[in-house]
Amino acid sequence: MISRTLFGRRAPVASEHTPSSWDLLERVSATALDEDYATAAGRREQRPDGRRRQPHVLGAVAVVGLGLLVMAAALQTRSAGPVEEQERGELISQINDREGELSRLAERSEGLESDVDDLQGTAEQIGSRGDELLDSLSEHQLVSGAVPATGPGLRIVVDDESEGVSSTGGTILDVDLQVLVNGLWQAGAEAIAINGNRLGSLSAIRTAGRAITVNYNSLTRPYVVTAIGDPDTLEASFAETPGGQAWFDLETNYGIQFDMETADELTLPAVPEERLDVTYASRQGELP
Amino acid sequence: MIAVLGLVIGLVGGLIIEPEVPDAMRPYLPIAVVAALDASFGALRAYLDDIFDDKVFVVSFLSNVIIAALIVYLGDKLGVGNQLSTGVVVVLGIRIFSNVAAIRRHIFHA
Repeated sequence: MISRTLFGRRAPVASEHTPSSWDLLERVSATALDEDYATAAGRREQRPDGRRRQPHVLGAVAVVGLGLLVMAAALQTRSAGPVEEQERGELISQINDREGELSRLAERSEGLESDVDDLQGTAEQIGSRGDELLDSLSEHQLVSGAVPATGPGLRIVVDDESEGVSSTGGTILDVDLQVLVNGLWQAGAEAIAINGNRLGSLSAIRTAGRAITVNYNSLTRPYVVTAIGDPDTLEASFAETPGGQAWFDLETNYGIQFDMETADELTLPAVPEERLDVTYASRQGELP
Repeated sequence: MIAVLGLVIGLVGGLIIEPEVPDAMRPYLPIAVVAALDASFGALRAYLDDIFDDKVFVVSFLSNVIIAALIVYLGDKLGVGNQLSTGVVVVLGIRIFSNVAAIRRHIFHA
C-alpha cells in the first residue's frame, strides 16, 4: 500500500491505520535528505541550461560557518573544564579546612571533658568537706547554745528558806547559783538553763538590784535549773563535786530548799542572739 | 574540494579568533552544532546524489540551526529543556545516521 506522506514523498504507510512511534522514526529516517534538494533538482531539469552552477560559493560560506560553530562549541567545552577543575579544587580545600576544624574541635572537646572530670572531682571534695563542716557547725551550735537543745538530764528546783523554818534567813545569792551551775558542768552536764534562760559562753549569773539575772533577764523564785547530761550518772557525780557539797551545806544549815529529779526529756531554749555576738575576738587559724 | 577548504578555513578561523559566545546563547550552541552537522551531511549526500543545490543547503543549514536553538530555548522556558534537547538530538542523530549510511553506500557501493 503506497501513499503520499506529509512531505509529498512516496513511502510505505502500512501503519496508517495503526499509528505508532515506529511510524514516526521511519519517517524521520526516510526524510533524512531534505526534500528541497529533489525539488530543486527537478526544477533545474526543466530548465534548458539546467546544469549545476560552479562553484558553490554560498555552500562554501555555509561550510565555513559550520567550522566556526564546531570550533566555538569545542572551545567553549574546553574552557568550561578549568572552571570545574577550579571549583573542585576549592571544594577540596574547603573539605580540608572543615576536617582540620573538626579535629581541632574534637581535641577541644576532649580537653573540656577532662576539665569536667577534674571539676566533678573537686565538686565532690567540696561537697564532702561541706558535709564535714555542717556536722561540725551543728555540734558547735549545740555546745555554744545557739540552737535549742533537748535530751535527758536533771531538773533541780531551789528556793529560799521557807518562812519560819529557821532563823538564819537563808536566801539564795547569785554566787550560790554560780556554784550550782559550776558543779553541774563539772559533773558532766552538756547544756544548762535557769528558769528557761540558757547559759551560753557569754552568759553571766549576777545580782542586779534585788534580783538575780541571767542573760540580762531577771529571775523570780523558785529557781529551776535544768541540765542535760547522762541521767544515770549526773546526779551522783554532782553530789560529789564541791558545788554539790556546798549546796548540801546550804540545805542543811540555812534551810534552802533543794529538789533534784531526773527527767527523760528536757527542752532548753537557745541563748538570745545578743549574747552570741563577739566584737573584738576573731578566730585564729584555719577552719578545721 | 571547495567544501573541504571551507571547513578547514572555518575551523582554523574559529581557532584563531576564538569567537566569544554570549552567555545567553551558550546552552544552545551544542544543539546548533548538531543541527549544522545534520544539514552538512544532508548536503554531502545530495552532492553525491548529484542533486546538490547551494540555496537549498544554505537555507536548510540556517533554518536547522535556528530552529534547533529555538526549540531548546522554548523548552528551557517551559521547564522541559533537557527533554526537548534529547528529542532534538535523537531526531537529528537518526537523520545523520541515515544520511551517512547513504553516503557510505555511494562511496563504497555497498
